[in-house]
Amino acid sequence: MKALSRLLSLTLISGLLCSVSLLAETPRETIAKAALNEDSAKKREIITTLVGQGDEVIKTLMDDWKADKLFIHTTAAGEKVVVRLQDDKDDAGTQSAVRVDDGATLKDASGSPLRLVAKEQKAVEHDRGLRNAMKAVLDLLDLSSPDAKKRIQAVETLGAAQNAEKLPALEARAKVEQDPEVLRELKEAAALINLKNSSDDVKVAALKDLKELHAFSSYDLIKATLKEAETASKAPVVSAAKDALAAIDSHRTFVDFFGTIFRGISTGSILLIAALGLAITFGLMGVINMAHGEMIAVGAYTTYIVQNIFGAGVTIPLFGLSLAIPGMHATGAWYNSYFLFAIPASFFTAALVGIALERGIIQFLYRRPLESLLATWGVSLLLQQVFRLTFGANNVQVGSPSWLSGNWTISDIIFNWNRVFVIGFAIFIVFGTYLVLTKTSLGLLMRAVMQNRNMAACMGIRTSRVNMLTFGFGSGLAGLAGAFLSQITNTGPSLGQSYIVECFMTVVVGGVGNIAGTVTSAVGIGMADQSIQQILLNPVMGKILVLVGIILFLQWRPAGIFVTRSRSLD
Amino acid sequence: MSMSLVGNNFFNKRRTIEFAAVGIIGVLMVVVLPLLNSLNLMSNFWLGVIGKYLCYAILAISVDMLWGYMGLLSLGQALFFSLGGYMLGMYLMRMIGGETMPTFLNMQGYTDWPWFFGPFTSFPFAMLMVLIVPGIVALVFGFLAFRSRIKGVYFSILTQALTYAAALQFFRNDMLMGGNNGFTDFKFILGHDIRSADTQRILYIITGVVLIGIYGMCRWLNGTKFGLVQRAIRDSENRVLFSGYAAAHYKLFIFVLSAVVAAIGGALYVAQVQIINPAEMQVDKSLDAVVWVAVGGRGTLLGPIIGAISVNALKSWATNVFPDAWLIILGGLFVLVVLFMPKGIVGLPAQLMGVWKRYQAKRPAADETPVSLPETSTTESSASSPAK
Repeated sequence: MKALSRLLSLTLISGLLCSVSLLAETPRETIAKAALNEDSAKKREIITTLVGQGDEVIKTLMDDWKADKLFIHTTAAGEKVVVRLQDDKDDAGTQSAVRVDDGATLKDASGSPLRLVAKEQKAVEHDRGLRNAMKAVLDLLDLSSPDAKKRIQAVETLGAAQNAEKLPALEARAKVEQDPEVLRELKEAAALINLKNSSDDVKVAALKDLKELHAFSSYDLIKATLKEAETASKAPVVSAAKDALAAIDSHRTFVDFFGTIFRGISTGSILLIAALGLAITFGLMGVINMAHGEMIAVGAYTTYIVQNIFGAGVTIPLFGLSLAIPGMHATGAWYNSYFLFAIPASFFTAALVGIALERGIIQFLYRRPLESLLATWGVSLLLQQVFRLTFGANNVQVGSPSWLSGNWTISDIIFNWNRVFVIGFAIFIVFGTYLVLTKTSLGLLMRAVMQNRNMAACMGIRTSRVNMLTFGFGSGLAGLAGAFLSQITNTGPSLGQSYIVECFMTVVVGGVGNIAGTVTSAVGIGMADQSIQQILLNPVMGKILVLVGIILFLQWRPAGIFVTRSRSLD
Repeated sequence: MSMSLVGNNFFNKRRTIEFAAVGIIGVLMVVVLPLLNSLNLMSNFWLGVIGKYLCYAILAISVDMLWGYMGLLSLGQALFFSLGGYMLGMYLMRMIGGETMPTFLNMQGYTDWPWFFGPFTSFPFAMLMVLIVPGIVALVFGFLAFRSRIKGVYFSILTQALTYAAALQFFRNDMLMGGNNGFTDFKFILGHDIRSADTQRILYIITGVVLIGIYGMCRWLNGTKFGLVQRAIRDSENRVLFSGYAAAHYKLFIFVLSAVVAAIGGALYVAQVQIINPAEMQVDKSLDAVVWVAVGGRGTLLGPIIGAISVNALKSWATNVFPDAWLIILGGLFVLVVLFMPKGIVGLPAQLMGVWKRYQAKRPAADETPVSLPETSTTESSASSPAK
C-alpha cells in the first residue's frame, strides 16, 4: 500500500515536472535552440528531448529542416535567428521569413516585415545522426498527439513492428494516458512487443494479456509466436498461445453473430422502408405499380436537389433547356441539416408524382391488375429515361451529412450510424403509417374503400379521391425510401430497379394487405440475406437462395405469413 | 357439342382472313426474302435483322399462349428463351475447336471442359437439351406454383423473381457459363461456317418455317377441346374446377409447352445473332415480350407475330433516329396501348368499326372515348378480394 502511494506520488511529481518543463520551453524554441547549437552531438541531445511531445509543428519544422528550408539569419544587430522561408519567390527572389522560435514574422529594426533571399542565407546543417534522432522523435510524435485516433494509429503501428526499443516510450505514455481505448491499445502493443522477448515468462504473461484483450489485430502475430514455440517445443508458451487464439476465435464468433443480427435488421429496415409504400399500393389497393421503384428514385433525386440547394446549386439540362437552381452555399451544421429538409421534400415530391400517375393512368385500371402492371411498366421505362435525360446516365453525388457517417464500436461490433439511423427511421415510418391508417379520418376512409369499394361509395365516400390520396401516400413512402437510399447507395436512373423485385417479394411473403406481415417478412428476409452472406461469403448466392427460399415458403403458406381471411371466391 | 362449336368457328370469315394473311406473310418471309437475298437484292444485314424479329415472334407466341389463352402473365419467358439459347450456345462453343480453352474457363483454372459440356459435341444432344432443360425448369417451377394455386399477379411476381435469380446466377463467372460475356465467337454449326451468308440464309429459312409450324400447332391446339378448357380456365378458373377439370394440369402443360416454344426461339436466335449473355434473361426482356403481345393483340395468334415484328422494327428505327427518346416512345406506347387499344393492332379494325357505329347511332353525342371497354378480359380479380 505504502509502495503504491509512493509510486503514485512519484508519477504525479514527474508528471508535474514534465508539464513545468513544457511551460518553460515550447517545441519551437527547442528546435531553434538545436539549430543554433554548433556541436552536432549537442544538437542530437536537444532534439531527443522532444520525444513524447505531440505538437504538430514539430513535424512541419523537422521536415523543413531536412528539406533545407530552415536558415540562420544574422540580424543587423548581430543576433542569430533561425528562420523558415515560405511563400512563393517574388521577382527579386525574396521570400517572407518566419522566426522558428516563436512563429512570428521576422521584422527589421523599423518593424516592417523582412524578405530574404534563400541563396544569401546559411541553411541549417543536418547530418545522418541528427536525421535519425529526428526520426525517433517523429515516430513517437503521434503517440502524444491531442487526437485520440492518431494516438491509436501510432500505438498500433508500434505494436505491429514489435520493436523492443519502443517499449519504454509506450510504457511512459501508458502512465499519462487518459483515454481508455488508447490505454487498451497501449497494453496490446506492449504485449505484442513482449512476444519477441527472449524470456518465456514474459512471453506467457504477454499472451495472457492478449487473451484478455482478445483483439483481432494480434491474431497473426500470436500465430507466429505459437509456431515458433512449437518448433522450440516450449510447452507453457504453446498452451498460452493456444488459449489466446481460442479466446480471439470465440470473441470473433460473438462479434460476427451480433454483427450479422445488426446488419440483418438494418438490411431488413431498408427493405421495409422501400416495401411499405408497395404494401399500401399493392397490398391495400391491388395495383401492381411497377413504377414503384421510380418513385424511390424520385425521392433520391429530390434529396440530391435539396442537397444542392443547400450547397452550390445545380444546373439541370431539362429537355434542351437548362434549369439553373441557385444554391445557398450553406456550411457546417446548417449544410448538414439539409437531410432533415430533404426527407419531407422527398415524401411530397414522390406523392405528387404518384397522384399524377394515379389520375393519369391507374384510375382507369382498378380491378385489372395485370393491365396496371403493364401500364406502370411503361411509366417506369419512361421515367427512367427522363431521369437519364435530366440527371445524366451516371450516378449523381449525394453526400451523407456528417452526423450519419461514423460508427460506434461496442466490444468490436461496429454500429454504423446510418444503419442505426435506418432502423430508427423504419420504426418511425411504420409507427407513422400505423397512426395514419388507424387514427386519422383519411385512414378510416382508406380502409373502408379498400375493404368494399362499392359499399363505401354507397355510404357517400368519394372513393376516387380516397384512391388518389392512398396512392399518393404509398408513393410518398417510396419517396422516403429514396431519400434514405440516397445516403447508403448510388443514386442513378436505375436505382429503383434494383429494389423492385425484392420489394414485391417482401409484400407477397408478408401476406398481401397486411402491414404487420410486411414488417415481419422484411426483417426476416433481411436477416436471412445477411446470415447466408455471412456463411457463404457470397452476396449473389445469398440473394438467389433467399429467392428460392421464398418460392418454397410460398408452397407452405401461399398467402404469406399473415393470411387475410376472406370468404370471397374470385 | 364442343366439336360443332369448333367446326362452326373454323371457317368463318375472320379465320379465313387470318389464314390468308399468314399465308401471304409466310410466303413473303420464307420464300421471297431469302430469294432476294441470294440474288443480292437484299443485304445480309437486313435478312439477319428480320431473322431476329422472327425469333422474337416465336417468343411472343409463347407469351401469348400463356397470357392470352390461359390468363397467366409469365415474366419468366426471357429465361426460357435464353436457356434454349445457352444450350445451343454450348454446342457452338464446343464447335469452335482449337487447342485453348475459352477465357472464361481459363480464368476459373480449367484446362479441360467441365463434365456438363461433355456431350455437347453432339448436335442432336444439344437440340434435345434445348427442349428438355427449359422444359424441366418450367415443370418444376410450374408444379410448385400451380400446386399451391399461385395465380394472377402472384404468378407474375414469382416468375419475375425466378428470372431475376437465374440472371444473377448466370452473371457469375463460377457458373462456368461465360459469366458476364456469355458465349460468342462461334465458328461452325454442323460443319458449316456459321458466319457465311449461305448458312445464315438457311438458318433464316428454318426460323421462318419453325415460326409457321408453331403458329399452326398453337392454332390447332386452340381449336381442340383442350383449347376450349384452356380458355375456360382463363375466364373463370373456379367454374372449371367445379366442373371436375384439374385446372392445374392444364396450366402445367401449357406452361411447359410455352417454355419449350420460347427455348426453340432462343436457340434459333443464338444461331443467327451469334451471341448469348445473361442480359438476355433479365426481367425487362420478359416484359419487352409482353409489350409485343399487348401491342399486337393478345388472345390472338397473329397478334404476337405482328407485335414482335412491328415493335422491334420501330425500335430499330427509333434507336437510330432518336436514340435518347426510344425508351420514352416505348413506355408511352405501352401506356397508350393498355389504355386505348386493349385488343392491340389486330383488334384495331373492330375497335374503330365500333367507334364508327356508335358515332353513327347517336350523331351529336359521340364524345365518349373508348377508355375502359367493359368487355376487356377480367382474368384476375384478386385485387377485389377484401383486405382486412
